[in-house]
Amino acid sequence: MLKIKQTEMPQLLNAWAQKSRVFVPQDRGGVSAFLPWDGKGTLTLGKGNTLEPPKDIFFPRTETMYRYQVAEAATTLETMPPQKEQHVLVGIRSCDARSLEIMDDVFLTKGYEDEFYRQKRENTVVIALACNEALPTCFCTAFEIDPGRAEGVDVQMWMTSDSYLVEAITDKGEELLKQTSELLTPVENETLPDAAKPTLKVDVEGITEKLQQMFEHLYWAEVSRKCLGCGACTYLCPTCHCFDIQSENRGSSGFKFRCWDSCMFSEYTRMAGGHNPRPSKKERMRNRFLHKLQYIPERYGKYGCVGCGRCLDRCPVNVDITRVIREIKEVTL
Amino acid sequence: MVDAVSSNPLVPELGKIIKIIQETPDVKTFHITTDKGKPFTPMPGQLAMLSLLDVGEAMFSITSQGPEYLEIAIKKVGTLTEALHEAEEGQTVGIRGPYGNGFPLDMMKGKNLLFIAGGIGLAPVRSLINYCAEHREDYGNMWIIYGSRSPADLCFKEDLTYNWFKVENCRVNVTVDRGDENWNGHEGFVPAYLEELKPSPENCVAVTCGPPIMIKFVLQSLEKLGFKDDQIVTTLEMRMKCGVGKCGRCNIGSHYVCLDGPVFTLEQLKKMPNEY
Repeated sequence: MLKIKQTEMPQLLNAWAQKSRVFVPQDRGGVSAFLPWDGKGTLTLGKGNTLEPPKDIFFPRTETMYRYQVAEAATTLETMPPQKEQHVLVGIRSCDARSLEIMDDVFLTKGYEDEFYRQKRENTVVIALACNEALPTCFCTAFEIDPGRAEGVDVQMWMTSDSYLVEAITDKGEELLKQTSELLTPVENETLPDAAKPTLKVDVEGITEKLQQMFEHLYWAEVSRKCLGCGACTYLCPTCHCFDIQSENRGSSGFKFRCWDSCMFSEYTRMAGGHNPRPSKKERMRNRFLHKLQYIPERYGKYGCVGCGRCLDRCPVNVDITRVIREIKEVTL
Repeated sequence: MVDAVSSNPLVPELGKIIKIIQETPDVKTFHITTDKGKPFTPMPGQLAMLSLLDVGEAMFSITSQGPEYLEIAIKKVGTLTEALHEAEEGQTVGIRGPYGNGFPLDMMKGKNLLFIAGGIGLAPVRSLINYCAEHREDYGNMWIIYGSRSPADLCFKEDLTYNWFKVENCRVNVTVDRGDENWNGHEGFVPAYLEELKPSPENCVAVTCGPPIMIKFVLQSLEKLGFKDDQIVTTLEMRMKCGVGKCGRCNIGSHYVCLDGPVFTLEQLKKMPNEY
């Protein structure tokens, strides 16, 4: 195990930033997000969780897929150069680490690999930071996530009163730490700080099975009544992966890009002929909850919610997924 | 021109429209090829993402194929399809695929096949009809029941009046909702005509595609005729963007229509949420 003083963390980030693009929780106008480190930002590492999940490091809000030139003589298409830039993602919490496993399932399995996602995922060293304190909206333990140790990351860090303890988990993590060994002091027999204990509890046992019988239930009309359809929940969700594909033209040339989309919007499923299988917010909100708690579990064998609490923290009308889960467990079929 | 497209399923290959056939006032069939020949070789019922680069991209069923080209029949319903209808032969398009599961050929082997289609719904079914006609020895009797709103709206008239009559043990029945002064064929809706014709469910698989309202009543008629849910096959439509089960929107429950569909048996559909 290695150790670094909290006050020396910017130096470590600077050192990593020599060779890689370093994303670390920073404050940008009151919003905490994983932003590129330039040595000058306001670090929020270790202070609660970021408002914005880390998914845009691998799956940007908008991403150019190819460029084209439309001409009578010859229309041409130009693919994007492979992403070679190395990334270091510092300080994700255990909930967001689980979300990356779900994103991997979506983008890298079931017959097709998403090339754009894969390149960025492979070029990124992921460093987790254990949670010492839970926010009032945290409920990761409902999904058997350990706030004290993340799954599937390259490096695990813990925060003590004045330092960070750092442990390489994978070879990729080991390699990164080796590059900056002069800043990291080897230590032995360090006591790990106690992991956070979320107080927001919800029992998800049997929720998928219950939902499988609830598609036509009146509950969905009731629970969706106050939804504004703003989509904030889906943009802040670390596992929401839906995207749209659009093109932008400038004269005869243009580019095709993909951008985040949301199942909370009516356009999302509306077909050219006008038919919409999810015409009202009842169907759309039902889809969101079923996707997290029934469809992803059925398709990939794990829950699609990681208990990060971002959606319930920021929903303008206080739709709370933990309350929805509790109510679903109680409704009579 | 294009490098390494095959490694990225979201990037199309450039192709050309080499032939356009006006099927009905609002349906055209496009023959599409690339510099290296046929873009890919789909199985019947599979799909292609077709694009006009500066307009848009959408998923279409592939209605048939030749040795060097794919055939895609397109009804004019929105921005992209209107632009395609205005395109001329020689137009450059983007194409990627094939996507989806296609028809369950193994399950159909040795069976009599009943094809029931309405309007542009014949497009996906036609890929299977042509496949079965080419592999005639693998299948039992073929029976095509097809209808459209009016005689002018009948798609693939050359197949209906000529090509499919030449197929051994293949019967073709055509109806229109309302005929005109020159029409001396059957008049009436497809489900009623189906009940009139009374095909036997014995060792038979029914394949149906058409407008939702037609499918709804065809399913009821098939049930009356004694067809079981596992003998009925249909193909669905959903809005799609990626075609590879990532972008999210074409899900019915935990199934993605682009990947796990578009072809489902009625038995499978009944186990899925009613949201399509």
